[in-house]
Amino acid sequence: MQNVVFGIVTGSILAVATLGFALVRQTENFLNIAHAQMMALGAFVGVVLVDTYGMNIFLAGAITVVGLGAVGVVLSAVFFQPVRHQGGTVLLFTSIGLALMMYAAILALFGTQARFYPDVSGSLHRFAGIGIATNELVIIGLAVGSIAALQLFLNSTGLGRAIRAVASNDDLARVRGVPVRTVSNTIWFISSAFGAMAGVMLGVLGAVNTEIGWHNILIVLAAAVLGGLRSITGVILAGLLLGIMMDVSALIIPTAYRPVVAFGVLVAVLILRPEGILSIQRRKDAVVA
Amino acid sequence: MTNPIFWVGVLTLAMIYASLAMSLNVESGWGGMWDLGIAGLLAAGSYCYVILTASDPDLGMRFAPGLSMWVAWPLSALFTGLVAFAIGAPALRLRREYFLITTLAFAEIIRQLVVIQADLTRGTVGIANINRPFDSFVTGRDYNYVLLGIAVVTAAVMYVVTRQVGISPFGRTLRAARDNEAVALALGKRVNRMRIKTFVLTGVLIGATAPVYLFYIRAISPQLFAPGITFTVWTALVIGGLGSIRGGLAGALVLIVFTEAVGLIEVDPAHINILVAIEPFLVGLLLVLVLRFRPDGLFSERSSFGAARRSAGDPAGDAARVAGG
Repeated sequence: MQNVVFGIVTGSILAVATLGFALVRQTENFLNIAHAQMMALGAFVGVVLVDTYGMNIFLAGAITVVGLGAVGVVLSAVFFQPVRHQGGTVLLFTSIGLALMMYAAILALFGTQARFYPDVSGSLHRFAGIGIATNELVIIGLAVGSIAALQLFLNSTGLGRAIRAVASNDDLARVRGVPVRTVSNTIWFISSAFGAMAGVMLGVLGAVNTEIGWHNILIVLAAAVLGGLRSITGVILAGLLLGIMMDVSALIIPTAYRPVVAFGVLVAVLILRPEGILSIQRRKDAVVA
Repeated sequence: MTNPIFWVGVLTLAMIYASLAMSLNVESGWGGMWDLGIAGLLAAGSYCYVILTASDPDLGMRFAPGLSMWVAWPLSALFTGLVAFAIGAPALRLRREYFLITTLAFAEIIRQLVVIQADLTRGTVGIANINRPFDSFVTGRDYNYVLLGIAVVTAAVMYVVTRQVGISPFGRTLRAARDNEAVALALGKRVNRMRIKTFVLTGVLIGATAPVYLFYIRAISPQLFAPGITFTVWTALVIGGLGSIRGGLAGALVLIVFTEAVGLIEVDPAHINILVAIEPFLVGLLLVLVLRFRPDGLFSERSSFGAARRSAGDPAGDAARVAGG
């Protein structure tokens, strides 16, 4: 049971990261490989604010999330807008280029030494023999809160409706006068902010190193595909499921296999059920007849 | 400039990347299969070669038949082809980014398996001092020229083989199926079987290049096969021109010479971080710039096949190429 709790914590972080990724995939129609580098950047900026400048973890987290959200908007304007008309393939490879550049920036700015957040785990709570630390509770709470806020934003505000319109039919939305540029900026802000938040959470739980981005892009991709990319609920479930599976599998097989479990699940799902775990409509674009 | 040995090494590396990029071009450029699993295939070929030639009992490997490198070399090419078949058979049912994700995941699985199966591969410790051909005849610094020769011959073989595939009826059908799968199917072409053949062929070619890569690196460990190398090969191919015959060769030369030359800049040891960061930064920057200002690369596919391609102004052809992956 203890591992299920760990899995839920891992899964919550994964769900936050993957939602940001899926949002861009839905509205901008490409897989943004640089998303996981945003997570790494978030982890590093957070650790510098807390460790070097002695900031409170919540304040540092908030500054990181808002700041990197803005950085994401700027990066999208510089890198992705100019090649947007060339389609998803060019955008995908541009995002690989951007990921390499962000990775280089992280190496140059923060060095290759692993960094740690000062101990913020807080006291250990026990419920029916299962221990959970305060920071893990806070992470789950923040994940639930931010996902709920996103859901509320998408469903009950004008801008949220515009985003959903662009996601379901880009051209139609444009023709109907939806402010596509504003929508795009909002999406990049939310996506990058979610990525940065997931990065800070990952950093709080473990070490912050420069390889965080490359490690996580595959797991985020796995969760996104598993969730079917189209539904928020699907992505959340996929994130949780993947997190729990990775942590529970540690009981049966050596922990070294942890990533293999994630990718094995991904490959199995893609091949057996390419439409994702939740979507009803068959994913036509994924499979040949 | 610095001593010639340095540039011999740079050229050798460029030729190795050129071989990989030209192999990748067959499946991704002409076949339209967007494979992000190059690192996995390279790992399969490299480890197959290393394990088959291992003989030193001190290494403590469970299986070390100590075959001659001339036997192990073709065997690793074959083995990589088999691995490619095992990946391709299920993965080729998927299209576009789903194929891409699957190949990336398979590559990562292969790398993790290498780490875990430490009794066979020596895991993260790796194996150093890999034997190289002719190193009993030529020693010391002169050996670098021998290695350059091997790499050039390999690249030349890859060029000839991929060019033959490209201009053959098989290559034409492959490109036709990429641009318009429905028409190719309607004409009775077995598109899926063709794609698996292509995927396996790329595996064999990468497996054949793998030993040369090992001769250059001289030591093997799982970190070599992180996704980074896949992205570098792709960058070389995109710079040179995806789908063109010479693209991989030209792109790899430009990319490797450029990134290695920048490494020569004298940097204050205090700023060692920046030196480490230069290579990924340049690879990324080149990729972004080429995609933005010359998306066809240095050599376009049209320049390779001239009249065989439809006119440049044909939007359907371009749309199909973009959607084809």
